[in-house]
Amino acid sequence: MDFVLLVAVLLPVAGAAVVMLASHGDAHAARRTALAATLATLAATVIVAVGFDATETASQMVTDWPWLGSAGIHFAIGLDGIALWLVVLTSLLSVTAVLVSWRAVEERPRAYYALLLLLETGMLGVFTALDIILFYVFFEFTLIPLFFLIGVWGGPDRRLAARKFFIYTLSGSVLTLLGLLYIVAAYHEQTAALGKPTLTFSIPELTANLHLSSAKQWWVFLALTAGFAIKVPLWPFHTWLPLAHVEAPTAGSVILAGVLLKIGTYGFLRFNLALLPAASHEFLAPIAVLAVIGIVYGALTALAQSDIKRLVAYSSVSHLGYCMLGLFALGSVDTATVGITGSLLQMVNHGLSTGALFALVGMLYERYHTREIRSLGGLARKMPVLAFFFVVFTLSSIGLPGLNGFVGEFLVLLAMFEVRKAYSIIGAVGIILGAFYMLWLVQRMLFGPLKEPHDGDDAVRDLDGREIAALAPIAAVCLWIGLCPNIFLSRMEPAVRQVAERLEPAATRVAIAHDSH
Amino acid sequence: MLHTLQATAPEVLLVLLASAMYLAGTFAKGPCRCWFWSSIAALGLAAVVLATWTMNSAPAASATAVVDSLAVWGKVLALATGLALVLMSDAMSLDNRAPEYFASLLLVVAGSMFVAGANELVLLFLGLELISVPSYVLLYVTRRDVAGQESAAKYFFLSIFASALFLYGLSFLYGAAGNTNLQAIAQLESKLPYPVPPSLLVALVLVVAGLGFKIAAFPLHFYAPDVYQGTTHTLAALLAWAPKAAGFLALVRLVTFAMPYLADKVSWLMLVLAAATMTVGNVLGLLQTNLRRLLAYSSIAHAGYMLVGIGVGALGGSRYITTSGAESVVFYLVAYAAMTLGVFAVLVALASPQRPVETIDDLAGLARSHPRLALAMALFLFSLTGIPITAGFWAKVAIFSSALVSGQDHYITLAIVGMLNAAVSSYYYLRIIAVMYMHEPYGAVEPAGSRPALCVVAACTAVTLAIGFAPGPMLDWCVGLGLGR
Repeated sequence: MDFVLLVAVLLPVAGAAVVMLASHGDAHAARRTALAATLATLAATVIVAVGFDATETASQMVTDWPWLGSAGIHFAIGLDGIALWLVVLTSLLSVTAVLVSWRAVEERPRAYYALLLLLETGMLGVFTALDIILFYVFFEFTLIPLFFLIGVWGGPDRRLAARKFFIYTLSGSVLTLLGLLYIVAAYHEQTAALGKPTLTFSIPELTANLHLSSAKQWWVFLALTAGFAIKVPLWPFHTWLPLAHVEAPTAGSVILAGVLLKIGTYGFLRFNLALLPAASHEFLAPIAVLAVIGIVYGALTALAQSDIKRLVAYSSVSHLGYCMLGLFALGSVDTATVGITGSLLQMVNHGLSTGALFALVGMLYERYHTREIRSLGGLARKMPVLAFFFVVFTLSSIGLPGLNGFVGEFLVLLAMFEVRKAYSIIGAVGIILGAFYMLWLVQRMLFGPLKEPHDGDDAVRDLDGREIAALAPIAAVCLWIGLCPNIFLSRMEPAVRQVAERLEPAATRVAIAHDSH
Repeated sequence: MLHTLQATAPEVLLVLLASAMYLAGTFAKGPCRCWFWSSIAALGLAAVVLATWTMNSAPAASATAVVDSLAVWGKVLALATGLALVLMSDAMSLDNRAPEYFASLLLVVAGSMFVAGANELVLLFLGLELISVPSYVLLYVTRRDVAGQESAAKYFFLSIFASALFLYGLSFLYGAAGNTNLQAIAQLESKLPYPVPPSLLVALVLVVAGLGFKIAAFPLHFYAPDVYQGTTHTLAALLAWAPKAAGFLALVRLVTFAMPYLADKVSWLMLVLAAATMTVGNVLGLLQTNLRRLLAYSSIAHAGYMLVGIGVGALGGSRYITTSGAESVVFYLVAYAAMTLGVFAVLVALASPQRPVETIDDLAGLARSHPRLALAMALFLFSLTGIPITAGFWAKVAIFSSALVSGQDHYITLAIVGMLNAAVSSYYYLRIIAVMYMHEPYGAVEPAGSRPALCVVAACTAVTLAIGFAPGPMLDWCVGLGLGR
């Protein structure tokens, strides 16, 4: 069983190789190979999820090979409750990404699909890596395929967008690398002081045993935050995001919003919270303030947009604020567990609903070659299926009870309410704003008298089977999470609780007192 | 005497063969590819001598020339990169100047090999001069237009100036030690009064200044952009590699190991130089449009990163993450050789008299016209930026983790400065990649030229990727050099 996870991580790379070598510039062969590879990966991750032992806190299905002998760096991957659903999300959205590119990408299809598949391996690798260096390798590696996807297949301003995305993200993550290396060095020092110097890059081992003084935690926290905050993006580091989203091809936006932003929040959880508990408490207020500003700012900016894609992009800034708020709801163990599980679920939810919304925007653009809200109206009559999906994902995005978004936002705000009421209340205001701009968009675009950029555009048809196949599974999962959230939450909880126990205020106070001796 | 000859046999052989080529060249008529082939044969012969005779010698640690693992590594690397440079020169239109050109190239290789094994000030200086003097000839014979003349003259005068500074510094060292042997200079420690006499500080500054010119470190870096721009791709590659590698080997031998009593001074000097060099290189690199000028600033910036390792090596910090400071410099040099020579080899392969490749825009649309070369170029540029899974990534990890564990707060700050510099550098490297992949080709597309240059591209790609995917053997081997203090 253990090998299935490894297979899931490596399948896309194999697919990319097949696409490059076998399809000989035949666009259709490239598409079909890519679809087969992503479907096979999805199947593998579903097998992994079914076989996942919900009671286990440690990583499962571990593959561990030494990579750099003497330096102690390993190629180690495995899965715990924190990463499980993000892995499934990645493989699901990758299928969608291939399907939405089917007709949109005619130029250099082989390279396009190969890059998409490489990106999938990169993302799966980030979530499954159990070695700090391996994590960072995958973390940085995701930049390259997306840089090309945006820069070659993107919109008119693609070159600027691609470079801005790359350089902005890289400037933060180089500091993250230093922080990560420092953690390894500090652990070596710590164990050397006890007479048993250990050089390890293993994330589980460091998480279990690392004890940094709170002053050092503070600096390392800042270094790690530099990379992760840009990736999330936390206000005010979000300025690369709208540009990258608007210029990216549809599949790029789906993956970027759906998965890549979660790498930032995942990094916060896996490293900042799990390894630096004392500093996490110290940074609770600043991070929560930035998150809350992001929620309100993102929502208000989204409200003012005239371009649908830009609107959805700013809504991501707002939604990721909830994920951050949930992560930093550091109260009692139970509260923190609720907040972090809620945040993790919210990451998946945002991936599903925003990924799907970006896919829908892409489908609209393929039909009308415009994303201006003003030039569209009353589309529900002409394209009922598209309208149906748009409404479903809008409702999921604004957190309608019965759909997935509600569960995540509720848990996040509940946990934060116990810790700092004010943030929770402002967050709730953000939900109202979110409902406002999304429903207003739906009203203007889907209802009312029919309005199209070119009058009487009869060539425009409703969604075809392929497009429905891209969206229907996501909608089904949204409904499933909304109705039976426990299936998802219960698998996350043991691993999250373990982190929460390390974060318990009493425990961190002991650590701080220990330093002062 | 015989020991010294055995230890330096390959380079002595190269010098003899080069002299023979100079002589034979006067009798040759017209262009002939024999010079290209005979220089490859000469390098091969030197490699055979190195493997069969020199490697078996074991001169004492205080000998004039040593055959320790660092020396052997340096000589092997000099031969390998020398071969790459010869291959890259095949496309050059040299007419009747080929014998002088190839013989001078062999002398540069011989000079690098002398430096690698030098354990004595005079031999070290001789080796460095044997790199510089033929470089003047090379710059002169390959380009005879105004820009080429300017570049040769500029390099000549500044190089002479730097050599004089270096030699003056050596004279102070000799004065203090009464001996030119590096071993003896290192053992001064026990005899020195406290504080260290100022004459030694003067020696340190002058030596570092002289070598700073070779490696193009701030403030003696400013010749590099003009000289690279004013010469050919192949010679720019030579200048970006041979003097720099020899300069860093000399720094390791002389500054890191022979002056332990100045360790804290060295660490401060290197801290300032490294920060200034990498920042100047990267910031000015942002403004360039000429490719060789840009690569000159890039090579300045990389000298800055490597200076971090020299400083850490002098501190003698612990080595538990990967490598000690000096060992990470060695690792970095290998990665640097692969990616820098690779970039220049791509340019050599692309350029033709009809379609010169001078500015970034000349590479527009390369991904369509030459997809494989564009891919290789992108790989080298990502490696120069330090993105995983390339050699450049591990090189940066090695350098900056050695700085992190040095236990000195100011070196941790330097690591942060270095990492931010790497992010800045991504701007101009990405610009080239963006032009290759995201712009339309201009002008007629020609098939890539010079086959030997393509071989160099392939070899550099292989090294960059091999170290990128499996840096383990290389790292272990660098640790095996035992350059920790």
